[in-house]
Amino acid sequence: MKKNWLIGGLAGVFALAGLAFVQGGGAEGEAAVAATIQPIAFPHNQHAGSEPGQNRMDCQFCHFSAERSVDAGIPAVSSCWGCHQVVQGTTPQQQAEIAKIRGYVESGEPIPWVRIHKISDHAHFPHMRHVNAGLQCQQCHGEVQTMGTFEAPDPVWGGSNMGWCIECHRNPPEGLQKADGTPIEEASIDCAVCHY
Amino acid sequence: MTVTDGIKRRDFLKVLGVTGAGATMTGCGTGEVEKLLPYVVAPEEITPGVATWYATTCGGCSAGCGMWVRTREGRAVKVEGNPNHPISKGGLCARGHATLQHLYNPDRFAGPMIREGDRFRQGTWDEAERLLAARIQGARTAGQQVMFVGGHTGPTMSRLVDAFLSAVGSGTRVEYDAVSDAPLREATRLAYGVDQLPTYDIAAAHLLLSFGNDFIEDGSSPVAHNKGLAQMSSVDAAGHEKGTFVYLGPRLSTTGLNADEWLPIRPGSEATVALGMASYLAGADAPPAYANLLQGYDLARAAAASGIGEDTLRELAERFRDAGPSLAMGPGAGAHHRNATAANLAVLILNEVAGNVGRTVMVGDGQNAASSPFSSMADAIAMMAGGGVGVALVHGTNPAYSLPVGSGFAAAFDQVPFKVSFASAMDETAAMADLIMPDRHFLEAWGDAHPRRGVHSVQQPVMQAVPHFDSKQSGDALIAVARHLGTDMGAATFYEYFRAPHQAMHADDPAAFERMWHEHLRTGMFGMGGMAMGGMGMGMAAGAGMGPAGDAVQLRAPDVALTFDVPAFDGSGDLTLIVHPSPRFGGGEFSNSPWMQELPDPVSKITWHSWLEMNPATAEARGIREGDIVTVTSPHGSVEVPVWIYPGIREDAVALAMGGGHTEMGRWATGSGVNAMQLLPAAAEQPSGAFVTLATTVSVAPTGQRRRIATIEGSNQQYDRPIAPAVALAALGHAGEEHEEGAHHEPLQELQGYGGVQPVPAEEGAPTAYPLAGADHGLYADAHEKPRWGMAIDLDKCTGCSACVTACHAENNVPWVGEQQVVMGRDMSWVRIERYYEHIDATHASHLDVRFLPMICQHCGNAPCEPVCPVYATYHTPEGVNAQVYNRCVGTRYCANNCPYKVRVYNWYRYADENVPEPMTWQWNPDVTVRTNGIMEKCSFCMQRIRDAENRAALEEGREVRDGEIVPACQQSCPAEAIVFGNLRDPESRVSQVVANERTYRVLDELINTQPAVNYLKKVTFHEVSGGH
Repeated sequence: MKKNWLIGGLAGVFALAGLAFVQGGGAEGEAAVAATIQPIAFPHNQHAGSEPGQNRMDCQFCHFSAERSVDAGIPAVSSCWGCHQVVQGTTPQQQAEIAKIRGYVESGEPIPWVRIHKISDHAHFPHMRHVNAGLQCQQCHGEVQTMGTFEAPDPVWGGSNMGWCIECHRNPPEGLQKADGTPIEEASIDCAVCHY
Repeated sequence: MTVTDGIKRRDFLKVLGVTGAGATMTGCGTGEVEKLLPYVVAPEEITPGVATWYATTCGGCSAGCGMWVRTREGRAVKVEGNPNHPISKGGLCARGHATLQHLYNPDRFAGPMIREGDRFRQGTWDEAERLLAARIQGARTAGQQVMFVGGHTGPTMSRLVDAFLSAVGSGTRVEYDAVSDAPLREATRLAYGVDQLPTYDIAAAHLLLSFGNDFIEDGSSPVAHNKGLAQMSSVDAAGHEKGTFVYLGPRLSTTGLNADEWLPIRPGSEATVALGMASYLAGADAPPAYANLLQGYDLARAAAASGIGEDTLRELAERFRDAGPSLAMGPGAGAHHRNATAANLAVLILNEVAGNVGRTVMVGDGQNAASSPFSSMADAIAMMAGGGVGVALVHGTNPAYSLPVGSGFAAAFDQVPFKVSFASAMDETAAMADLIMPDRHFLEAWGDAHPRRGVHSVQQPVMQAVPHFDSKQSGDALIAVARHLGTDMGAATFYEYFRAPHQAMHADDPAAFERMWHEHLRTGMFGMGGMAMGGMGMGMAAGAGMGPAGDAVQLRAPDVALTFDVPAFDGSGDLTLIVHPSPRFGGGEFSNSPWMQELPDPVSKITWHSWLEMNPATAEARGIREGDIVTVTSPHGSVEVPVWIYPGIREDAVALAMGGGHTEMGRWATGSGVNAMQLLPAAAEQPSGAFVTLATTVSVAPTGQRRRIATIEGSNQQYDRPIAPAVALAALGHAGEEHEEGAHHEPLQELQGYGGVQPVPAEEGAPTAYPLAGADHGLYADAHEKPRWGMAIDLDKCTGCSACVTACHAENNVPWVGEQQVVMGRDMSWVRIERYYEHIDATHASHLDVRFLPMICQHCGNAPCEPVCPVYATYHTPEGVNAQVYNRCVGTRYCANNCPYKVRVYNWYRYADENVPEPMTWQWNPDVTVRTNGIMEKCSFCMQRIRDAENRAALEEGREVRDGEIVPACQQSCPAEAIVFGNLRDPESRVSQVVANERTYRVLDELINTQPAVNYLKKVTFHEVSGGH
């Protein structure tokens, strides 16, 4: 009987500890992605969305190296400023956020964006192979052009979900093709394609 | 034990399972907030994730090898040989790779340092420059000199220093190289009136004699000479005749271990041997200038002096004459005894008599490597001691370490009122300085090199200066100091000063100049066009022995008296001490690189600490065992050092390498090993004035203490296993006639289940036979249509130089583990150069047979490591690479236990995280995972380079990778060009062509049927090899 108490107690302690972790983690996780922690409340939808009043910019206008490099690239402060020294915003909130860019330009400091999308260090993801095969950014990153400031980790890809990658490598969406025009029916699921 | 009621065991597990899941989720959701920092203004030439390459010139030594530097996001991450450079032709030595660690050396000065009492205070550059200007002004007023002591600098920096010194009034520039070829230069001046080093065309020689010249480790051009040796001494598919290499000297260096024959001559007897041979060959036709001299020498005298039989010497002399072009090289920096100039002159005479000058020995080619004499330094010391020097500037050299106490340098330097060091990190000389003005690393600075006539090589900054250190290029600092003194050096910056003469040549067309300048920077060379026409390079055309004016050089009588006899050695010890430059540390300037510290010495395989080499017979006679710590005492000093038993050294000699025992040189060098220079006299050889390294006898007494040697060597014997077999030259072309050892005619055998040992069908054993029969399904269903990546390593070319080892460390983020961990067998290098003695005899002239074998993961088709991994962390890719998936590995180490090649290394203690301080982490290759503890790792065939080539090929036109597009780091670096990587399944690929050779074998394959993808080509020997080894 005594033993059962002990087991129950132990399990309870583990469970409570686990819950505490989950809660803590949840809170911290949200904090990590809440708009407020980005140095500038950057709305992807305003830039890339196709609703009236939105600008329909191509993702690669800013993420400029996605089709030629493993890294998609994040725009230099001067790229932002290239447009925004003219485009000053229409609402006071927009104007306040855009004014921050001027601050970074003038101080010569980079904008310390908080990283949302990150693949694990032990995996290598060459953006250019995927972009050149005809994959849309949204297929992994979600409908970013409809999102305001990022509020949660990407619901589509999730960051460390290898199953998502493998699923697509086994059964790629239709319409993907190699540089010579032949359709891609499958991609390698060999570990060392990504892990080295 | 049973759980009866209440919570059932199963429920308990369920509860645990749920909490476990919670914890797992937590693990994913938290973590540090990572920042993404964009550029403020994006540099045009940088694409994130894509490497940018720059051409420059290696500043590691005076050889001036061409370098390509790979930068990522503005950081230099890897240096490689420039394949288009006429000197190094794509090769790079281990020290060249280690220059990258000097760039990111955490011990570099944070800024200019100004002495305040016993310590330094960090100042600003303006403060430092004004201070120096004021002190120079003060010295001028006091009628004292400004002295500049410089190591080897490029022509532009030398020009600037000279201009600076003449601008400040009375100034003296002293060149001082710790490791110098001064005797050879002086001998060439005496013999031919050309005050330059000769160049050698080693590849063209059919018989090469080295009289104690360790030309692949030190000397004027180690990489070029290494390449030449590999080419000269190997057979190749093109039917190149195999040349013979004979080493004459008391100790076998890495260079010596590559010889076909060893004549263990007495230390200092080189001149007598060379003159005896020359006298025998010349007979009555001796060169007039030396007829009298040669009359006094004959083979009998040579035999008596050297301890080698007269018949052996006669036969060698005849072969030297009859070989066609032959080549003899005089004593190098490890054999500078008191008659070293005479010995080098004697060897030049031998070359002249054999008709080699103008064929393999080129005089007047402007060879410009380190060759300054110690005597000018001795004069400088006297001047400093005499109080005539008011300000001493030391740049690019560290005499307080590299000169013995007896030289008086430290005492004299200490008397100089104001001492300035330009060292970028602390060293023994900088520690004495009043002001330190830290120089830029050569990868952050402008400069040039002029290693040889027609070769003018560019040094350009490949990145912004490492921001941790407020450094300034010394040229810029001097220009600023001159400005404070009211002198205009004619340029605002060193860069302008550097460009000005080139600009002046094209003053009429600035646009054309800019185009040309851009081309110079792109190629890393000035005047590639002219060079291509002139046919510069090691493989020089006949007639290249012409002097600067195009006249054939004439042998003439020396203008000073010389003694050719065996010199006297100091003291009355019974052992002669050989102090030689280290293949890893040079003269000690590379000692603070952990890559160099951890690189096993190519001869001893010892890492980190110093050792005393001693012949086994000598040790036995004294009751000394390996690892015994002994006191080595010369008349000039003594050191305590452990003994390493080496059959490649004469019984009457012991050897110590330079580079150990630093007292003020950063965290890795300080306290590691002993400084051999402290045993030497501060003597200059006459007439060259070279510092003597082979000058004293020592006595050796055990201290009674022992230590474990930090070696990576398992064994120096093969124990009858065909690990590194060889084939006799005579047996080549007669495959299957039983001359050959370990030949491939033995059928493969495999232990199969209950059936005992079964023969493997012949078609399964081939390198292309992959995947294994019956395994071609699933992931491997179409593997037959894919490449099988494989490698060929030609052991007839490999010289054991170990450049590949460091190249691999740099490319693959392989951490160093430190001396104590090496002692425990935990070194993590992915490449291990095995060194096996087959025949090595220090008592008689005889053939030498030492085998080098670079051992890497063999990427077995039938790999023993794979089935024992419980988590599928090691497996085969469809392209035949044995892959290691770090994130799957749980560290059971079963795979390493089951690997017959011992190529798997295990990370015990977070070496990569804890051993690598900022900013050395900047060197990490972003394309390769940095592994933490608890992970097994090994050679991946540079998987990141395979992927990179595939990505580029796919992006270009959706094509397959072409042969030669994938070059692993080891192959890229190899000066000997011994390594070829490629697709074994493609019969047209270069690797397939190399592998299709009767010398090809795979290590231990017949015994254990591992079917490796790494194919070795046997070393070719002149002597018959007996079965088994």
